[in-house]
Amino acid sequence: MDFFSTYGFLIVSMLFQAMLGLSLYIPLMTGQLSLASPGFYALGGYIAAILSTTVFLPEGGGKWESGTFPIIYVLIETVLAGLASALLALLIGFPSLRLRGIYLALATIAFVEIVRVLSLNLEITGKAIGIFGVPQPFINKFDYVVLALPLLIASAWFVYRLERSRVGRAFTALREDELAAAAMGVNPTTNKVLAFVLGAVLAGMVGAISAHFLNTWNARQGTFDVSILVLAYVIIGGSRTFLGPILGGLLLTALPEVLRAIAGIQGLPLFLSQFLLDGRLIIYGLLIVVAPLFYPQGLITPDLFKRRAVKTKEAGA
Amino acid sequence: MSIFESRGATRRFGGLVAVDSVSFAVEQGEIFGLIGPNGAGKTTMFNLITALTPPTSGQLLFQGQNIVGKQPHQIAAMGIARTFQNIRLFGNLSALENVKVAQHTHTHANVFAGILGTPGAREEARRVEAKARELLRLVGLGESADEKAKNFSYGDQRRLEIARALALEPKLLLLDEPGAGMNPNEKGILSDLIRQIRDQFNLTIILIEHHVPLVMGLCDRIAVLNFGQLIALGKPAEVQSDPAVIDAYLGD
Amino acid sequence: MTTNLFFQQVANGLAIGSVYAIFALGYTLIFSILGIINFAHGAVFTLGAYFTFTLTGTAFGFNGLLAQQKLPFSLWFPLALLGGALLAGLISVIIERLAFRPLRRRGADSLLTLVSSLGLAVAIVNIIQFLVGAEAYSYPSSALNDILTPFLFLFPDGKVPLALRVPLTEPPIIVRMVQVVIFATSIFILIALTYLINGTKVGKAMRAVAEDATTSSLLGISTDRLIQFTFFLSGFVGGIAGVLVGMSVGITGPYFGIAFGLKGLAVIVLGGLGSIPGAVLGGLVIGLGEALVPAEYIGYKDAVAFAVLFIVLLIRPQGLLGRVFIQKV
Repeated sequence: MDFFSTYGFLIVSMLFQAMLGLSLYIPLMTGQLSLASPGFYALGGYIAAILSTTVFLPEGGGKWESGTFPIIYVLIETVLAGLASALLALLIGFPSLRLRGIYLALATIAFVEIVRVLSLNLEITGKAIGIFGVPQPFINKFDYVVLALPLLIASAWFVYRLERSRVGRAFTALREDELAAAAMGVNPTTNKVLAFVLGAVLAGMVGAISAHFLNTWNARQGTFDVSILVLAYVIIGGSRTFLGPILGGLLLTALPEVLRAIAGIQGLPLFLSQFLLDGRLIIYGLLIVVAPLFYPQGLITPDLFKRRAVKTKEAGA
Repeated sequence: MSIFESRGATRRFGGLVAVDSVSFAVEQGEIFGLIGPNGAGKTTMFNLITALTPPTSGQLLFQGQNIVGKQPHQIAAMGIARTFQNIRLFGNLSALENVKVAQHTHTHANVFAGILGTPGAREEARRVEAKARELLRLVGLGESADEKAKNFSYGDQRRLEIARALALEPKLLLLDEPGAGMNPNEKGILSDLIRQIRDQFNLTIILIEHHVPLVMGLCDRIAVLNFGQLIALGKPAEVQSDPAVIDAYLGD
Repeated sequence: MTTNLFFQQVANGLAIGSVYAIFALGYTLIFSILGIINFAHGAVFTLGAYFTFTLTGTAFGFNGLLAQQKLPFSLWFPLALLGGALLAGLISVIIERLAFRPLRRRGADSLLTLVSSLGLAVAIVNIIQFLVGAEAYSYPSSALNDILTPFLFLFPDGKVPLALRVPLTEPPIIVRMVQVVIFATSIFILIALTYLINGTKVGKAMRAVAEDATTSSLLGISTDRLIQFTFFLSGFVGGIAGVLVGMSVGITGPYFGIAFGLKGLAVIVLGGLGSIPGAVLGGLVIGLGEALVPAEYIGYKDAVAFAVLFIVLLIRPQGLLGRVFIQKV
């Protein structure tokens, strides 16, 4: 159990980040670079943090003992966070998704920044300090895996099936060539809004659980930095199959731990081990620059599986 | 009533008038040729009909209804399908998937039905698949249904575009230079295919084509555009001997 | 808001707005040539400020690899500023080589290039943090005096006052001297750039490439070198913008330029992507907009640019002075 108490936090974080990767991937299925995920993630977290500290109080008042917060409340918050994100995404989606390419990315950056400034200033979000003491349904951080893992599997399955369904095909057609897709009867706006909303719902739900997991929630949770991290998951992991962002989220979240382990090796020059400890974002940044040169579609591509499948077939024949 | 009619359709780009009050009508079941020198406004005319470019002025009537102001996907759903001069397939999708996409308006499985695989959605998916394969066989691509569209030869891509357009179950089919890049033999096969689909699917076809023998042999009537203006309209033989047409083609 | 306070804020708004304008011009120059937004521009802004700080010969703080280090020499502030801007321009050229050119050669999607420039921005910002820590720095107090050397005769006792009193209203409007310097420098740069683009050979070539890169390369304009020059110019001006803001509020840390960079995006979208007068207009509008936020809502000041960005995108995506792009089918 020692492993789980040491790495429990990391493992669950990896699952969360993989889902955030998926939440950016879904709009990207229609060819839209949306950096809005952290905005909805922040929103979901605030909903959970506010509800669990003001509405879902124990009978007779007071505070929840650690580990006693009912999971059913977490689930209710998660659903509400998903719904709220869906509504907000619809609201901003219809007007802004007429925008192509770069303009949409800019609009979503603006959205994330506006959410951040609002949460820094509003009473209900605890201003700059944020919301402390979000009650815990579990004593061990690793136990959050019972919430995070099913949600990751469900969302991965959702996207896997989506890619093979009528709607998913329309998404891909839009990514390949929006005008041609429209000329073939695919409504660009409704499909793009749908993808945007689905991604928002996932990000909002992840935020709700994360608020409990992190125990506290503040304006630093949903920032432009997070946008870039999540983007890195997709670019490095792969942008053409749902496995890409999942792998990217898992790997890049584990990377600092790996670097820490390497930094601990005896005999490294001080500056190098310092770099490995503090240089996580430098390495992320450089990976984002270099990866597209060697892996234009990310580490995992759909062709990877096809080639594999062909090889197995040949081997069998 | 004509199935399609253009009444004074005009499109300006800045100072350039790409289509200049062009009026013509196409009858049900016709194969209607649209010819003219490069830059005459033929493709712009197609873009106006399919709403990829809005007309500056004029009316476009499909089955008696003005379609100006509609969105491209609405035009497609009404029954107007097209191919593109500079092929616009979904390159990373297989041929089969390309054709499936175009059945979008005739299918209804929503996102959740598709993901959960409800009986209705599965039945629909089977129908879509069967129809897509049938259309691919029709254009002679039945064997390479699972190949990515971008890996196809030029001629095969053009035929795949036709299969994709047919999947929309259109009433009016717009073919933009379907024979471009094909050799004479392939062009002959293409002619037969166009006639065959017209009869089989009860289509009306408007065709842009440079290759004069193909147009003359295939079309019931021909409209000639030059610098955005309609300069001749009639049966192939009449148009061919029209001095204005000869002038447009040989004048420069 | 009293009249006095209003004019006071207008002065503030014009000063910051003029920096927004020259900073955003860096985006605009590159966008008009490549059609891509260089997300690393905010990092170049930061670098300009840090390079200039380094060249003044002041020691770094207690954090980072270079803690307590300083250059063996110290430059007169105007020279440090020039050197900092030149280095920022150089880095901008390197950014082009690393994040733009390889993908351009491969004909990659422009969104991928955008992402690549973002990655480089993240790397640069964190390299700064790794080297000199996250603390705030400020320029030597003599900076203002040094930069105004040619104008010292204007002031009694040859010393630059920290603020000017403009007796237009009662009580008088107080304008910080540094704001006057910022505004004047920005205007000077704007005029110089306008001349460069409209009145010189290289400017003509830039405009030709912006119109149509393929034809221009047929005409014998070396596109690659011109792109390099544009990046240099954009970095040079962006670096100066960083120093100007640093003179006014100090260098607030490695993330200094990121927030500014994001606001710059709002500026160019408001003005119209690729439009030079648009960038200037957008910068002034957003600067004034921020300055006129009432004191009780001051916390929302940073949201002004993004609210403007969002609204412009919804109502008029081509911006105030931008052109509508016609997509070719």
